[in-house]
Amino acid sequence: MKISALRLFNVKRFASRGVAIEGIGDGVNVLCAANEFGKSTSFEALHALFFQPHSGTPGDVQRLRPYSGGNPLVEADITTDGGSFRITKQYYGGRSARVLDLGSGRLVAQADEAENFISSLIRGGTSGPAGLLWVRQGITGIEKRSRIEEEGEKQVRQSLLESVQGEVEAVTGGRRMADIMAAAKEALSDMVTATGRPKAGGRYAAAIEQRDRLAADEARLAAEVTRLRQALDQRANAAARLVELDSPAEREARRAAIQTAQSRFDAAKAQNEKLKTAEAELKLVSERRNAAERELKAFTEALGKAALLQSSLSSAEINRAEAIKRRREASDAIEKARENVDLAEAEEQELRERLIRFDAATKAHEAHKRLADVKQRLAEAEKLRQSIEEGEAQLALLQIPTKSIEELQACEVEIAKLRAIDEAARPSVSIHYEADTAETVTLDGKPLADGEDRTYDGHARLEVAGIGTIILRSNRPSRSDNQLVQAEAARTALLASMGVNSLSAARDRQARAQQADSDLRGSRDRLSFVAPEGLAKLREEVEAGNTTSLEGIDLDEDPALLRTALAQAEERRKQARLALREVEPDQSRADDAFVAAETRLASLISDQAQLAAILGPEEARSERAHTLSGTLTDLDKSLSEAEARVLELGTDAGDLASIEATLTRARSIEAAVDKEINALRETMAGLNAEIRAQSEEAVEEKWRETSEALTAANARMAAHEKEVAVLQRVTTALENARSEARELYLKPVMAELGPLLRLLFDDVSITFDDKTLLPQTILRNGQEEDVDRLSGGMREQLSVLTRLAFARLLARDGRPAPVILDDALVYSDDDRIEKMFDALHRQSRDQQIIVFSCRQRAFQKLGGNVLQMKDWQP
Amino acid sequence: MFRFIHSSDLHLGKRFGNFEGDLPSRLREARHHVITQLAAHAREQSATTVLLAGDTFDTETPAPHVRRQAFAEMAHDPEIRWVILPGNHDSLQSSQLWTTLKAEAPENVVLAVEPRPIELASGVVLLPAPCTTRRPGRDLTEWMDGQASPDGTLRIGLAHGAIRSFSEEGAASEVIPPDRARRAGLDYLALGDWHGTVSVDPRTQYCGTPEPDRFKHDAPGTALLVTMAGSSSIPDIQALPTATFVWRSLDLHLLEGDAPEPALSSLLPASRERRNSLIRVVASGHTRLAARADLVAAVERAAPDFAFLELDQDGLATECELEDLDQIDRGGALREAANALLAESTDERRPLSEREIARAALMRLYSYTQAVTS
Repeated sequence: MKISALRLFNVKRFASRGVAIEGIGDGVNVLCAANEFGKSTSFEALHALFFQPHSGTPGDVQRLRPYSGGNPLVEADITTDGGSFRITKQYYGGRSARVLDLGSGRLVAQADEAENFISSLIRGGTSGPAGLLWVRQGITGIEKRSRIEEEGEKQVRQSLLESVQGEVEAVTGGRRMADIMAAAKEALSDMVTATGRPKAGGRYAAAIEQRDRLAADEARLAAEVTRLRQALDQRANAAARLVELDSPAEREARRAAIQTAQSRFDAAKAQNEKLKTAEAELKLVSERRNAAERELKAFTEALGKAALLQSSLSSAEINRAEAIKRRREASDAIEKARENVDLAEAEEQELRERLIRFDAATKAHEAHKRLADVKQRLAEAEKLRQSIEEGEAQLALLQIPTKSIEELQACEVEIAKLRAIDEAARPSVSIHYEADTAETVTLDGKPLADGEDRTYDGHARLEVAGIGTIILRSNRPSRSDNQLVQAEAARTALLASMGVNSLSAARDRQARAQQADSDLRGSRDRLSFVAPEGLAKLREEVEAGNTTSLEGIDLDEDPALLRTALAQAEERRKQARLALREVEPDQSRADDAFVAAETRLASLISDQAQLAAILGPEEARSERAHTLSGTLTDLDKSLSEAEARVLELGTDAGDLASIEATLTRARSIEAAVDKEINALRETMAGLNAEIRAQSEEAVEEKWRETSEALTAANARMAAHEKEVAVLQRVTTALENARSEARELYLKPVMAELGPLLRLLFDDVSITFDDKTLLPQTILRNGQEEDVDRLSGGMREQLSVLTRLAFARLLARDGRPAPVILDDALVYSDDDRIEKMFDALHRQSRDQQIIVFSCRQRAFQKLGGNVLQMKDWQP
Repeated sequence: MFRFIHSSDLHLGKRFGNFEGDLPSRLREARHHVITQLAAHAREQSATTVLLAGDTFDTETPAPHVRRQAFAEMAHDPEIRWVILPGNHDSLQSSQLWTTLKAEAPENVVLAVEPRPIELASGVVLLPAPCTTRRPGRDLTEWMDGQASPDGTLRIGLAHGAIRSFSEEGAASEVIPPDRARRAGLDYLALGDWHGTVSVDPRTQYCGTPEPDRFKHDAPGTALLVTMAGSSSIPDIQALPTATFVWRSLDLHLLEGDAPEPALSSLLPASRERRNSLIRVVASGHTRLAARADLVAAVERAAPDFAFLELDQDGLATECELEDLDQIDRGGALREAANALLAESTDERRPLSEREIARAALMRLYSYTQAVTS
C-alpha cells in the first residue's frame, strides 16, 4: 500500500477549514512545517482514518474535533495492488465511511464494508503489522506506554517474525517449553530460593533441619551412652574389687596377720623393759666407779703438791724479808736528795732578788737625765703650732680658686669681642667738607668733623646750617644687646664672688695666697721634726719624768758579779733536782717487790690449807690411800658384770621399731580395706542410681534409634541435594536452549537491522529482549549498555531503524506498508540526522516513507519529495 | 534323646529409627512376638528347652517394660525352660542388668552368666560362654576344653561371637575357633551373633535371628530345632519359621526393550504378604528413558502395599535413542536442551557426578514432557 494524498476538513485547529497534502510519491516524502501549522494534526487524522472506525467516538476521535465542534472529515488517496482508491471518513454528525475507486470513479464500499476494506489494507488494525510503522512525535517505541498498546505492538512484531521465521512456538518450544520450565522451577522453588539456598519451610530445608536436629540428638545421646557405659564399666570394676576384698579368706588372712604382728610386738616390748632396767644399773655402777677413781686421783695429786709447797713457802719468806730491807734504804736516799734541792733553790732566789733591785735603780737614773731635753722640745713645738694656726687663717682669707680667675678672664674677652661686633654693624655717617666750607654740621647736636666717621643708633639728626635738618634713619631693628648684657652680668657676679673689683686685683690676691701657703708648709715640717709622735706624747713624757723619784736607789753592787753568782746557783739547783729524780723510782720499785713477796707468800699459805683439807690429818693419810684404791677395784668388777648383762639382754631384744611397723602396716591394711569397701559400696550405690535412671529412660535404645534415623536423614538430604542439582540442571538446560532459540528467531530482523546500524554507528551490536522483541541492550566498545540508559538521540535513532528493519521485513513478505514518521528525530544532532537520512533513502528504494517534521532547516538536507499543505474544501 | 530349640539375637527393644511412621513400632512389636513364636514351636515339637545364644536384649540397659514384658511372656508356659546367655549387646559388663534380671527372672528362666556347667537334664550338660564385656578380647569358649563330664553325657556348648572373620560388629579379635566343638568334645555348639543361619559344621550352628532386622542376610527369620539322639550321633537340625516380617533385596535385571513393570510384578510377593514385607528393588542392566520412567512410576504405585519398598537404580544404565529424544520434541528449544543434556551425560571428560546429574536431568526432562503432553 502507498498513500498518494491526504485531505482533511474541520479537524482540530482547522475548524471549518480544510487542508490537503497532494502528490505523495514513492520513496521519501517530507512535509516540513513550523510548529502549530497542522503537521501533527495531519498525522493524527491519517492515523484515525486507518485505525478509528467512523461510527465510534473514542478518545482519539474526540481529539480530532475542533473546540467549536463540528464533524471532522478525513480523506486519503491510496494505491494498492488492486488499484487506486479514495478513502473518506467523517466522524460525529453525518458519520460515514466510503471507498471510491479512483480509476473508475465508482463507489467501492460504504460504512462497515468500507471499514472492512480499510482493515484488509492494514490487516488487523493497530495490532496488524502496519501499526508498528507509525512513529509518532516523542514516542521512540522504547519508552513506557500503556500496557495494551505495548502488548499490541509486541504482538505485531511477534506475528511478523513468526510469518518470516516460522511459528515461534516451534522454535522456542512454546507453551510446552514454558509449562515444563514452570514445572521445573516450581519444583525447584519448593526446595530452594532463587539464589539456590534451601528455602525456609521447604522440604529441602526441613530435611536439613531434621538432619541437624538428629545429628545434635545423636551426639548428645552418644555422650550419654558413653557416660552410661563408663558407669557400667566402673560399676563392674567396683563390684569385682568388692568381691575380692570382701571374701572370707581375705578377711581371715588380714586378721591373722594383725594377730601375729601383735604378739611379736608384745614379746619384744617386755624384753625391751628388762634391757632398760639393766642399762640403768650399768649407768649407776659406772658413775660410782668413776667417782671413786676421781677421788683416788685427787688424793694422790694432793700428796705430791703438799711436798712441793713446803719448799716454796720457805723461799718466799726469805724474799719478803729482803724486800722490806730494800724499801727502807730507798726511802732514806730520797730524803737526803730532797734536802739538797731545797737548799739550792733558796740560794738562787736570794741572788735573783738582788739583781732585780739593781736593774730598777739603773733605769730610774737614766730617765731623770732625759727629762730636760724633752721639756725644751715641747716648748718649741707649742710655739710652732701656734704659728701654723695663724698662717692657716690668713691663707683662708686670701685664697681664690684658679678656675674663677680663668672664667673672669674669658668673660672679659667675650665682652670685648661683643662690643667690637656691635660697633662694626652700626650705620655711620661722615662728611667731607669742601675746603671752604666753614660751617659745621652737627649730628644730634654734636658737630661732625670733616672725615669723622660717626655711628648712630636708630635715627640721627644732621643739622646743617643754612640748609636745615637732615634726618638719618637706619631703619634697622634696634639691635638686641642681650649677649653683651649677660656677659657683663656674669663678670660682675664673678668679681663679687671673689671680693675684688677687677681682674688684675684678683691676680694679685692669688699671688699673695701662694706666698702664705709656702710659709705654712715650712712651719709644719719643723713641727713634725720637733714632735715626731705628736704634742700629746711629748707632754706625757714630761709628766712621767716629773713623777719619777731617785729615792733609795743603790748602785753599789757589781752587776757582773751578781749575775755570775745567780748562774751558779741555778746550776746547783738543777743538779740537786736531777739527783732527786734519780732516786725517786727506787722507792716504787722497792714497794712493788715487797707487795709481790707478800702476795706469793699468802697464796702459798692458802694452798697449803687446801691440801691439808684434802689430805686430812697426816697420820691417817696412808690408810686412806689404801681404802680408796680398794673401793675402785671393787667397782671395776661390778661395772664389767653390768656391761655383760646389758649386752646379753640387748642381743635378745631385737628391733622393736621394725616389729611395731609391721604391726601398724597390718592394721592399716585392714583399715584401708574397710575404707575401700565402704567407698566401693557408696560408689556402686551412686552408679546403680545413675544406671537405673539411664536405663529407665532407655538412653541406649534411643541412641541407636537416633543414629539409624540420622543415617536415613543423611540419605534423604543427599537425595534432596541431588534433586536440587537435577532440577537446576534441567532449568539451566532449558533456559540455554530457549535463549539460543530466540536468537535464531530474531535472526531475520537482525539481518535487516545490521546494515542500517552500520550506517550510523561503528562497531555496535544489539541484543533483543525475548519478551518485547525490541532492542534491549547495545554493545559498543566492548561495553554492554541498557537501551533505557542511552541518550534520547540514540534511542530514537534505534527506534526508527528498528521500524525500518521491520518494514523491510514486511515488504519482503509481500506486504509493503508506508512508514510514517512524525517528528521522530527531535533529539538527533545534524550529523546523525544526515546519516539517518541516508538510512531512510537506503530503505526507501522499495518503501514509501512519509516524514513530518518541524525542523525545516535540518530536514532540507533530507531531500526526497517535498510536500506542501494547501487549502482544501471538500 | 534330647530336643531343644536354638535361637539368638532377639534384640528385644530395638527401635528402628531409620524408618518412619508406625513401621518402627510394628518391627519392635514383631521382635517381642518372637518369644511367643518360640514357645509355640517348643510346645509343638515337645522341646522343653529354649537356648538363647546372646543378644536377647538390644542394649545393656533395656527399658524396664522391655525386660518385664519379655519375662512375662516366657513365664506364660512354665513347662518350657529358657536359658539366656549374655551377648555382646547385653554383656555382663552391665552387671546391674543381670542383677536386675536375676531378681526379676521367673522360675523357668535360667541366666547362664557364669562359665560353669548347667545340667539341663540328667546326662545333658550345658557349657555356656557368657560375654563378659562388649569386646572381651579373648576366646571365651576355651574353658570348655578342660571341663570334664562323665562318659555318655551330652555336652552342649552355648556361645556368642564370631567364628572366622565374620561378625555383626565388624572386625573382631575374639574369634571362636571353628573346631571348638571337636576340641571340647561338644555334641553341639549353639552360636549366636550372626543374623543369618550358618552351618559351620554338623555340630556347630549359627541359628540366625528369628526376626530379621536388616537387608543384609536376605533370608527368612528362623530358629533351629535340635534333636540329639545320643552322644556321638550327629544331631538332627530343623529350621522353624519364626519371623513376622520379610526383608528382601530383589534383583531386577533389565535388558533394553524389557518392560519393567511386568518384570517387577513377577518379583514382588503376593499382595497379602506385602504388608509385612520390607523390599529393596535393586535394578541393574540397561533401559530406555521411557522404561526407566515406567519403572520408577511402577515402584511408586506399588509402594503403599508394602511395609517398605524402595528402588535402588544406581546400577541401571539408561540408553537414550533418537526416538526417545523425539518423544521430548522433534526440534526446537526443548530438543536442543535434551541434546545438550544427553551430550553432557555421555561426555567422558566430565566428572562422573556431573554426568550423573545430567543423566538424571534428562530423565526428568523426559518425564516432564510426558506429563505435559498427556
